[in-house]
Amino acid sequence: MEKRHDIQSLAFMLLIASLLIAVSNPPALAHKVTIFAWVEGNTVYTESKFMGGNKVRNAQIMVFDGEGMQLLEGTTNESGEFSFKVPKLADLTVVLNAGMGHRAEWTITESEIREGSGTSKGEPAPKTSQQRAVGLNKEEIKELIEDSLDRKLRPIMRMIAESRSRGPSVTEIVGGIGYIFGLMGLALYFRNRIKEKQKDNRDD
Amino acid sequence: MHISEGVLSAPVLVAGAALAAGGVAVGLKKMDHEKIPQVAVLSSAFFVASLIHVPVGPSNAHLIINGINGLLLGWLCFPAMLVALGLQAVLFQFGGVTVLGVNTVIMALPGVICYYLFGGLVRDERRLISGVSAFLCGSLAVFLSGILVAFSLVFTQESFFSAAMLILVAHLPVMIIEGIITLFCLAFLRSVKPELFGGIHGKTP
Repeated sequence: MEKRHDIQSLAFMLLIASLLIAVSNPPALAHKVTIFAWVEGNTVYTESKFMGGNKVRNAQIMVFDGEGMQLLEGTTNESGEFSFKVPKLADLTVVLNAGMGHRAEWTITESEIREGSGTSKGEPAPKTSQQRAVGLNKEEIKELIEDSLDRKLRPIMRMIAESRSRGPSVTEIVGGIGYIFGLMGLALYFRNRIKEKQKDNRDD
Repeated sequence: MHISEGVLSAPVLVAGAALAAGGVAVGLKKMDHEKIPQVAVLSSAFFVASLIHVPVGPSNAHLIINGINGLLLGWLCFPAMLVALGLQAVLFQFGGVTVLGVNTVIMALPGVICYYLFGGLVRDERRLISGVSAFLCGSLAVFLSGILVAFSLVFTQESFFSAAMLILVAHLPVMIIEGIITLFCLAFLRSVKPELFGGIHGKTP
């Protein structure tokens, strides 16, 4: 009798659970924020999002160096973006504090900054390059390539930032439920063993 | 409602973990054979409910369903939520492993409080009283969770009052929706599975 009730209530609860899954809308949710930062020239761009793609507006951004010293602070704009000039050639940790316990961070290494700003730090290239189309020196070629690479890579950077704030996939959701029921099976198994042992002891 | 990793200071994390461990211990002690499937089902319901986004209001908020969890499970909602939150932390990166204890207390303690406050009232013969208390149970659990979040943030840098206001305003729509969900769930369970309710007062869960 007890057993049958168990199964019935289990079936009913499963119904509720699956209904919840059916109406759930994985792409749009909160409780996780992400920040993504990249270097272009000597500016660091950051983009902050809630999971699901909603922008984090007017949230606090703090920038720390490798030793934990705070270098600067700012707030994100209406589209969740914040940019700043590289304050120091060091590993930078960009921390997003979206309030209500939501926090995320992203680290930019020193080499990334060096690569980003390496060419623009040098002497401004002479403007004579147009006149002697063939005679581009090494530095100028490097600068041109990096310029166009920056431009070409920007959408890809954005795509990466976007995918980082994606919600959990169906596989993960179903997997999680599977884990819970696996645990239930384990718990039942061990309880059963204890019960049987007690029974055995009584029989002896 | 999930607090991210790296926000809270160590004493808060330790206190949260200790409280959660105590709650889970009480829950496990009370978990007898026929309760295990129920705990698992409500745990997975909680696990997916956090994915349901409530698109109202200024911030991103989601369902918690800790009211109905607490009402049906009592102390057992501690282990149920620990498991669900642990999986959310690992699979979805909600919250995190170090804040697991704090997050468990934030979600489960209001459930237990609601169980003691409304456990008898929702079983009332009069439909009005049981309905109203089911609604209150659902929304009060969210309210208390918000207070607990604000309380754990006090020890960082945010002031209690402003943090609490922010969280409660953001979760106002959730409170209303949770109240309604709890109301309908309990009304449904009452007509379909009345013995689910008898269990709480008859024998301790």
